[in-house]
Amino acid sequence: MRVHTLLMMVCLLLVGFQLQAADPPSKPPELSSIAPGAELWRDVRQRDQDVTGTTQVRSPGADVLINVSGQAWREYRMQELIPLSGAAIAIVLFVILLFRLVRGRIMLENGRSGLRILRFTTNQRVAHWATAILFSILGLTGLTLLLGRSFLIPVFGAEGFGTIAAGAKFLHDYLGPVFVFALTWLFVLFVRDNIPSPKVDLQWLLKGGGLFGKHAHAPRYNAGEKLWFWLASIVGLAVIISGLVLDFPIFGQTRSTMEFYHWVHSIAAIVLIVVSFGHIYMGTAALEATFEVMQTGYCDSNWAKEHHDLWYDEVKDSEEPVPQQQAQPDPGARQSTDSA
Amino acid sequence: MKKLTRTSHDVQQSAPEQATSPVPGALSRRAFLKNSSLMAGGAALATTVSPVMMKKADAAVTSGGKTEEIKTICTHCSVGCGIIAEVQNGVWTGQEPAFDHPFNKGAHCAKGASIREHGHGERRLKYPTKLVDGKWQKISWDQAIDEIGDKLLEIRKTSGPDSVYWLGSAKHSNEQAYLFRKFAAMWGTNNVDHQARICHSTTVAGVANTWGYGAMTNSYNDIHFSKAILMIGSNPTEAHPVALQHIFKAKEENNAPVIVIDPRYTRTAAHANHYLKIRPGTDVAIIWGMMWHIFENNWQDKEFIRQRVYGMADVMKEVKKWNPAEVERVTGVPEAQVYEATKAMADNRPGTFIWCMGGTQHTIGNNNTRAYCAFQLALGNMGVSGGGANIFRGHDNVQGATDLGVLSNTLPGYYGLSAGSWKHWSRVWGLDYEWVKGQFDDGSYEQSKGKDVHVMNTKGIPVSRWIDGVLEDKANIAQKDNLKAMFFWGHAPNSQTRGVEQKKAMDGLEMMVIVDPYPTASAVMPDRKDGIYLLPAATQMETYGSVTASNRSFQWRSKVIDPMFESLPDHTIMYKMAKKLGLDEQLFKNIAVNGEEPLVEDILREINSGMWTIGYTGQSPERLKKHQENWGTFDYDTLKAEGGPANGDFYGLPWPSWGTPEMNHPGTPNLYDTSKSVADGGLTFRARFGVERDGVNLLAEGSFGKDSEIKDGYPEFSDKVLKKLGWWDDLTADEKAAAEGKNWKTDLSGGIQRVAIKHGCSPFGNAKARAMVWTFPDPVPIHREPLYTSRRDLVEKYPTYEDRKSFWRLPTRYKSIQDKDFSKEYPIILTSGRLVEYEGGGDETRSNAWLAELQQDMFVEIHPRDANDAGIKDGDDVWVEGAEASKVKVKAMITRRVGSGVAFMPFHFAGHMQGENLLDKYPEGAAPYVLGEAANTAFTYGYDSVTQMQESKCSLCRITKA
Amino acid sequence: MARMKFYCDAERCIECNACVTACKNEHEIPWGVNRRRVVTIKDGEPGERSLSVACMHCSDAPCAAVCPVDCFYTTGDGIVLHDKDICIGCGYCFYACPFGAPQFPEAAAFSSRGKMDKCTFCAGGPEEDQSSDEYKKYGRNRISEGKLPLCAEMCSTKALLAGDGDVLSDIYRKRVINRGASAFEWGVNNSKIPG
Repeated sequence: MRVHTLLMMVCLLLVGFQLQAADPPSKPPELSSIAPGAELWRDVRQRDQDVTGTTQVRSPGADVLINVSGQAWREYRMQELIPLSGAAIAIVLFVILLFRLVRGRIMLENGRSGLRILRFTTNQRVAHWATAILFSILGLTGLTLLLGRSFLIPVFGAEGFGTIAAGAKFLHDYLGPVFVFALTWLFVLFVRDNIPSPKVDLQWLLKGGGLFGKHAHAPRYNAGEKLWFWLASIVGLAVIISGLVLDFPIFGQTRSTMEFYHWVHSIAAIVLIVVSFGHIYMGTAALEATFEVMQTGYCDSNWAKEHHDLWYDEVKDSEEPVPQQQAQPDPGARQSTDSA
Repeated sequence: MKKLTRTSHDVQQSAPEQATSPVPGALSRRAFLKNSSLMAGGAALATTVSPVMMKKADAAVTSGGKTEEIKTICTHCSVGCGIIAEVQNGVWTGQEPAFDHPFNKGAHCAKGASIREHGHGERRLKYPTKLVDGKWQKISWDQAIDEIGDKLLEIRKTSGPDSVYWLGSAKHSNEQAYLFRKFAAMWGTNNVDHQARICHSTTVAGVANTWGYGAMTNSYNDIHFSKAILMIGSNPTEAHPVALQHIFKAKEENNAPVIVIDPRYTRTAAHANHYLKIRPGTDVAIIWGMMWHIFENNWQDKEFIRQRVYGMADVMKEVKKWNPAEVERVTGVPEAQVYEATKAMADNRPGTFIWCMGGTQHTIGNNNTRAYCAFQLALGNMGVSGGGANIFRGHDNVQGATDLGVLSNTLPGYYGLSAGSWKHWSRVWGLDYEWVKGQFDDGSYEQSKGKDVHVMNTKGIPVSRWIDGVLEDKANIAQKDNLKAMFFWGHAPNSQTRGVEQKKAMDGLEMMVIVDPYPTASAVMPDRKDGIYLLPAATQMETYGSVTASNRSFQWRSKVIDPMFESLPDHTIMYKMAKKLGLDEQLFKNIAVNGEEPLVEDILREINSGMWTIGYTGQSPERLKKHQENWGTFDYDTLKAEGGPANGDFYGLPWPSWGTPEMNHPGTPNLYDTSKSVADGGLTFRARFGVERDGVNLLAEGSFGKDSEIKDGYPEFSDKVLKKLGWWDDLTADEKAAAEGKNWKTDLSGGIQRVAIKHGCSPFGNAKARAMVWTFPDPVPIHREPLYTSRRDLVEKYPTYEDRKSFWRLPTRYKSIQDKDFSKEYPIILTSGRLVEYEGGGDETRSNAWLAELQQDMFVEIHPRDANDAGIKDGDDVWVEGAEASKVKVKAMITRRVGSGVAFMPFHFAGHMQGENLLDKYPEGAAPYVLGEAANTAFTYGYDSVTQMQESKCSLCRITKA
Repeated sequence: MARMKFYCDAERCIECNACVTACKNEHEIPWGVNRRRVVTIKDGEPGERSLSVACMHCSDAPCAAVCPVDCFYTTGDGIVLHDKDICIGCGYCFYACPFGAPQFPEAAAFSSRGKMDKCTFCAGGPEEDQSSDEYKKYGRNRISEGKLPLCAEMCSTKALLAGDGDVLSDIYRKRVINRGASAFEWGVNNSKIPG
């Protein structure tokens, strides 16, 4: 949708130039309506469809007389990206709240079994948390740069926010490339069990993941998790690639290149951020005995039975009792997540 | 060494009161801005500057305490733009537009707008330096002068004074140029020359032989009155950008059609109404083609020709051959375009005719310039405001250096080299003629009319040929020995053709002395291990004196800053050198010397006392300083001061400013203008060529200047003429004593000039201009194909000259080169020209970071068709190989600016040689920011048949991918 | 109230680059940063024209609109300035500007551009007028000295004008009247160029 709007705007501009160029150039300008700046640029447009030329100055884009995509980018950023992303975040948070109110905290049907099963290796957990932390920082700093002018300047003042934004930009630009490694690591570790198994996944989806009724059958990762995995990987790849293009402006990228990748980066990042709210909620406060899984790497066997029954069938032989210090239920976790 | 402050602001900081705003309060600032909008109008229309503005500006600066505003003149071209330098504590901190300057109204080109960099730039030659075992070694001034002097004296003993070549400069002030020429004379040689040889020598010769003086006849400002403007071989948008301010004024306000004739669709052509794209080297053909239409349609000014032109009938006969078909065959321009352009000139009179290096730098350069003159004479465009031959000179003081005779064929003031001329100057110098003569080699190597001519009276080797003075067999050179030592006193070798041979010549010398603010390519071209001395000269911003702009106006320059590093002003270096050589007493007989610095004002006074031929006599230092102080009082259109201390003067006393300074002649704004009295700056054509030839009267007929008491033509004035006219008694007793046996050129009292002018007469007579110069190889200009021509089919009909055995002391080849067909191997015509960011050899401007950033790569312009044929893409590295097999490696710029079959290279680059980067050979920290191949490395042999101007606008080449 | 504008007359601009070096000169702009440049369209072909371009001090400035830290401000004279203490060097203003005015001292990895630099209409920045800090960050403040931008003041052909928009309009109107209709026929004769 965004591509279309953008392309249409560019096309309109170009067509506009062509139409104007078709006018006889010998026509003297209306003497009564001279506005210097406008006159100049109208002249250029009338006489040239192409608004590039030659110049002795070598800075990037110096040969472009009029940067036609700039206006389109401005409109995209100011009239679409900022309001729509703000709205999207608000809506998702509202939906999650609504879901919580309707569905409440989803408890294990049969309570805890006291037996645990290894679900994530330490390696997997470190990869997950590294990615998650980086993602959070990048998301927050990105949103600071995107929305801070509207929300934070009133709080911190222009200079204060300038400092915050400079820090945000610094973190974003230097941690971005680290995120590339984190996400790759995560992908390698998790991809095997996220390969779709069409029949089961489809059924799981048709049942809505069992959120509003009976549990659906699920292997190690259910279709929702798989979707998130692939979304995070593919859209994440887009974020990474576009981010790298933006972060390393040393290869002579033109403005329109940068604008395009900024457009990719911003949309992809907002999609990830919005969806990640769902993931974070589901992984923390939504379901009993879930957060501890990524905390400790172990899940309660009943949790496995309820949420990942097909996987449970495969691994039930590895059940082991919970060590003493971890045996208690998770009031702490519940408390903290509820209050969050 | 002076400690340099990089940024001006450090100085401001030291003046704390600067920190407080001089315009307190937003209200007053806004009120001011309302006023300042007036200034935008003023600047735009180039008429007024709101005085309120200037006052406030002053207030702002003076509140800082120590800012000094110094007026000087730009050193980058002959327009002569005024500059206001702001100096604080000796540091050049700011540059303000000189809105009241009559030439530029504050405007500048890229070079002028960045001239302050010269006050900070560190890419300079900093110390006297000597090449020892292939390494640069810092030495003291005393050691340098001692060693150089000893070597000179040794060469003098073994080979004679003619074996030392004194290559001077158009970047010298008038005083330095004059002193340099005088120095060479004292040394005893005519081997002295400068860039004018390779710039406008064919103009000077052609124009002076047509109507008397070899200079721009009108002025940049006078173009305001032009009804039509024709430019050929001239690209002022790059070479003289501020001239466009004046051209556009005529174009817009007079609706003057602008006609550009050039092989390239230049930036100037882009602003023209008519553009004729000629094949390089066909100037005579296109001009005769235009005149064919003039005569065909009877557009010529018959009355003007009858009264004031000799030989137009001969021209008509030649022009008759140039029918439109032949013109198109030779030049490539179709009839309709030629007709329209000619009609535009004929319909809109007076029209001005502008030419530059595109016309002069040819083997037939003198033919080209005379054809241009004939065109203007035919239309009656001479001697009128708005018309004229507006020849844009190149360097800032190339007019002055030419006038002051830094040339191998004349003493100062175009007096020539005859015994009479030497006697005149010996008198001015207060020296015994025999002593001067004794300084020369006592030999004769040339004959005239069967008689031996003393070497003192024969033309020296021109700068274009110094190479051959080294390389040519001694037996073929008309002087005692080959050249053994070269002084490059402000000269860039890359502005000269045959770069590879030039390098060989440099290797063959015994000693090279480079006196320059920059090491120049001369320091790095040769493969020498020793025998090169680099002496740091101060720039013109670091000294003071006068400079002659293209329009013959003198301008006074004040010193902006002290000489940087260990550099010294040129005249101080000349003093040191003269002292070492034992010539100081003679050289400075009339000139006071403070310490080691000769007094500039005294030098100018000596110039004033001897330069009667061209009226360099009225411009005393006092008058010039008065003009400098009162820029704003001179009219922007007429250059005449209305009121004020210089009331009635034309700005800069454009020469001739007749008589003594006390006579107060206002200068001559437009040459040969009979509508003004000579006393008010009018003139007639000069009676330079006798009074009759073959029974035909050469004097003017029925045309005379306003207020002239002789109502017809008359010869030049002498004591005899005055007596005959009964005007002798108008002289004072003292004048009579001085004038007896003398003429207007040699009467040191100026009495003859004064009396002639008193009676409304031009001291130099009143004659016809000659469209036919019988003393030249081609009396009526004819087209001749270039030596290296791609049009073999035209060689038979338009052949070049026969080879000459001894021409300016050297054998000179023409036919022997043209006979060989190079066009198969080298199919593309090669031409050269300028870029706005750089000047001349470019050492100065390529060392200026603000300019260098804008032109970082040497390039060649190639037409898309030629590029495609050779498989070359835009930006590729290519080899451009000249027809003499020397080649340069440059970047390809593919453009339709050049025609198919023509390639163009700018000539400002140096520092690469046939693909090799010579950066390591520069003294440390002295290399320019930008280096590149010198275009002239690829340029070939070819010299004008009168002046030895080099052919650098038309050769052949082959372009291949590197 | 004055509303400051630049205007470049394409009929007069000859790409002499005086405006470029005048700017370098006045503000000591380092190599690689160009607050002003001249762009030539149809270079070397009929219809060739040059225009000097810098910040046009737009009324509704796109740079100011997209700036994530809101570092731009417009003076009472309509000059668009920015605060380098707030600028984070993100480059957004460069994307949005139609004229390519914003410049960055570097283009290094990790999006390190340094603080944005652009034409100030020779009006400095938010620091105290003519203070040392102002000079170092923004160059000379000619407006406070009662002068106009040096690029326009030094333009070789008076093609580049700077000053109150209304006055500039008047000047241009006069020029157009002087030129008559013929001035707008450029390119007609040029279309006949061979080769």
